[in-house]
Amino acid sequence: MTHPEDTAIIERDLCAVDTALSDARASHPDSAARELQELALALRDDSPVPDPSFTRELGARVEAGFPRERGSRRWRARFPRVTLLPVAGALASLLVVVVIVFAAGGPPQGGGDDGAGAGGGGVAESARAPEGSAGDSGGGAERALTPPPPDQPGFAPRQSQRRIERSIAMTLTAPDRDIPALAEGVSRVAARYGGFVLSSELDTGDDGATGSYELRIPSNRLQSALRALARLGTVSSQSQSGQDVTRDYVTAADRLEAARAERRSLLRRLERAQDNTQAEALRARLDLVAGEINGLRSQLRDLRLRTDYAIVAVDLVGEEGHSSSGAVGGSFDDALGDAGDLLVGFAGVLIRVLAVALPLGLMVALGWLVTSAARRRRRESALA
Amino acid sequence: MPVARGTDTESFTALYERTFPRVYAYVASLLRDRSAAEDVTAQAFERAYRKRSGYRARRGSMEAWLFGIARNAALDELRRRRRRASLENDPEDTAAPSLDDHAELALRREAVRAAMTTLEGKERDLIALKFSGGLSNAEIARVLGVSETNAGTRLHRALTKLRKACDDAS
Repeated sequence: MTHPEDTAIIERDLCAVDTALSDARASHPDSAARELQELALALRDDSPVPDPSFTRELGARVEAGFPRERGSRRWRARFPRVTLLPVAGALASLLVVVVIVFAAGGPPQGGGDDGAGAGGGGVAESARAPEGSAGDSGGGAERALTPPPPDQPGFAPRQSQRRIERSIAMTLTAPDRDIPALAEGVSRVAARYGGFVLSSELDTGDDGATGSYELRIPSNRLQSALRALARLGTVSSQSQSGQDVTRDYVTAADRLEAARAERRSLLRRLERAQDNTQAEALRARLDLVAGEINGLRSQLRDLRLRTDYAIVAVDLVGEEGHSSSGAVGGSFDDALGDAGDLLVGFAGVLIRVLAVALPLGLMVALGWLVTSAARRRRRESALA
Repeated sequence: MPVARGTDTESFTALYERTFPRVYAYVASLLRDRSAAEDVTAQAFERAYRKRSGYRARRGSMEAWLFGIARNAALDELRRRRRRASLENDPEDTAAPSLDDHAELALRREAVRAAMTTLEGKERDLIALKFSGGLSNAEIARVLGVSETNAGTRLHRALTKLRKACDDAS
């Protein structure tokens, strides 16, 4: 810590030095300060002077705007090593964050059509979505369908193409007056995704509006269709179940193949039959095999239908009060509610983005600070 | 504030004309090698020209910014030279006193130069920024990344040490 008296002397001396430099003479009344003034002038007068040829040469380059040299030096000048270091650090940090995010279970699954090949289970599994979780319905089936242990019925280990029978039950709520529009929307969604309405029921009486729809939706477009349905109203409940029928399917297919082979063999034997008795016996056997083939065909067709198309049961429940976001019409309150929903959605996205961006930004800033400090210290070491 | 586009080359030329002799003098004082000083000075001005859009007035005067670039380039050169060989005791490669210099003045100059070799590198840097670079104490503080008071105190200490070394030499 500097003593106040010393501070006064320092200030006087520094002021005297500046005065001498501006006046080009040492004239301070105090001899010590005057000595410093003389020293300052001597130091300034002894400053190195540039060579005239160098002055001309550099002046010309400045006038020309420092034209760049061609080739690799240009790239190096634009991206010197010290500039690339923080960039490399930031990329490494990003990589670390991505690895951590995926190692922790991956990003929230927005869905993607699952097809029949996902998971596999011999017993019924179910997943129940919380009320209003429309956005999460996308990946529910994939998460819910975990592979069963090998001794479970329906397990066919060498089959990569799983046959899964899916059924979904969903309850959509909307204001009473919006239920007819909601019902139309359900039919439209079924058609848009290549499905159909198997049965429907709509009741719009005075004591409230309700509806019930049973849809068949192609399994490979199920998740998209569920998301579209969820957007029509408020999802108050949703449950999914899946039954892996791969073993049944494979068994039926194998049995069908065997029955066909047997029929071919019987037909060949019938051609070579020696007498009527033998021919009759073969015909009787052929009838049995034909019946078996028909039965197996029907079983396979049924299994194919049940696994190619998911059963989606949609219950529509009317409620008095606010209109849903997708409903027709709307008041100031509706608009206010919609705006609130939008803000909540936006806040959710913002929080997710910040959850990634903040640590990443901190890491980049820390890397930059450390790099800058290290670089400065390395440079300063030249003066040590 | 960034240098205005369109007139930036003009502005840079003005900055160059205003500061070139002082930048060169500072770099040469630090390196004590005229040839290296020319290279580093040219490099510093080129870097400043390329980076001129990155200059922000709120972070100090343009001269302080330019001297910061020149100082970094000079320190990098010193480090390179140190890696090649220790040049701590290199003879000073500055202009010899002219014949018409007064003998007393020449003696004084020699004494100051001899005294300068007794200073530490950071003190020589401060002296060079002040008297060869012609920077104010506030600008020196900005270049070194310290407070103005700290820069003034350090400068005073270096000057006092230099004066004592001169007195001892004479």
